[in-house]
Amino acid sequence: MKKQLLDQIIKNKENKSEFAIITNISNGESCIYEKNKPIDKNFEKYLEQIKNYFEKKKNGVIENTDIFVETYIRPIKVIIVGAVHIAQYLVDYAKSLNFEICIIDPRGYFATEQRFPDLKIINKWPEEAFKEIETNENSALIALTHDPKIDDPALQHALKNKFYYIGALGSKNTHENRCQRLKDAGFSETEINSIHGPIGIKLGGKSAPEIALSIIAQLVAETYKK
Amino acid sequence: MKNSFDEKILEEANDWIKANQKVVLATVIQTWGSSPRQVGSRMIVNEKGDFSGSVSGGCVESAVVRECIGIIKDNKPFKKIEFKVSNESAWEVGLACGGEIAVYLEQIN
Repeated sequence: MKKQLLDQIIKNKENKSEFAIITNISNGESCIYEKNKPIDKNFEKYLEQIKNYFEKKKNGVIENTDIFVETYIRPIKVIIVGAVHIAQYLVDYAKSLNFEICIIDPRGYFATEQRFPDLKIINKWPEEAFKEIETNENSALIALTHDPKIDDPALQHALKNKFYYIGALGSKNTHENRCQRLKDAGFSETEINSIHGPIGIKLGGKSAPEIALSIIAQLVAETYKK
Repeated sequence: MKNSFDEKILEEANDWIKANQKVVLATVIQTWGSSPRQVGSRMIVNEKGDFSGSVSGGCVESAVVRECIGIIKDNKPFKKIEFKVSNESAWEVGLACGGEIAVYLEQIN
């Protein structure tokens, strides 16, 4: 690898701009791939396959070639609505799993820095809060307040922006009512069914850390299904 | 989940180069069966055999260091090496987990 390329890689990492390092392991040549930018002409014929690896966030040697792809993709953003007790445990799990976390809760007494040190907390209603966060199909939403006033607008935002994971805390009844409200708001059945509710995989536990574990396990499973 | 942006091994390689050391980058490029570190895992090695990072759970690092010093001495730009249980060197450095890995070595110049 040329020192010049290493400098470029480090610069891209500093800027958190997504890219891939492409290496031809049969002749030692390497270059950087960035979305929507022309690629080094020595790698042009592999462009479609490289793109495919990049989109799927895959690292590895492209089949039947000597081209190794290593992707640098920003961590997945997880937005937690409701700075409740479960959220405190969720934050711990999510941090060690390298998710990028942000908490929304308009209720100032919940979302304090003391309860959530070193974390991005937005003390606003979801409609306002989402104006401050860039979200897309690589984002996940965990709604924990089970208060329609707070959860519903967040769920609507997540559905409209095609979050790959949307989960909402609450009993079966709570969830049925929630689905009805979303239906009334004009969301399709497929959209509504994509919400994980009641949230989490079945572990049997009822304590806050156990519920947090069941939620994070579901989130990880859905992340790898993407 | 891997967060490549937070890993600082390439930055460390850059610091070594600034300190006038020769640096070989070793990257896991393929794995088969159970292997301790995923594709993209890295270690760096200098001409003295100092190293940082890892490509396995300690199973093959010593062999990788030897190979890296070798390519610096021979002034080879790159080399691909594989570690399998069936390797002749299995008694010495094979992967106890039964996995196989391919590691790509490249000098930074």
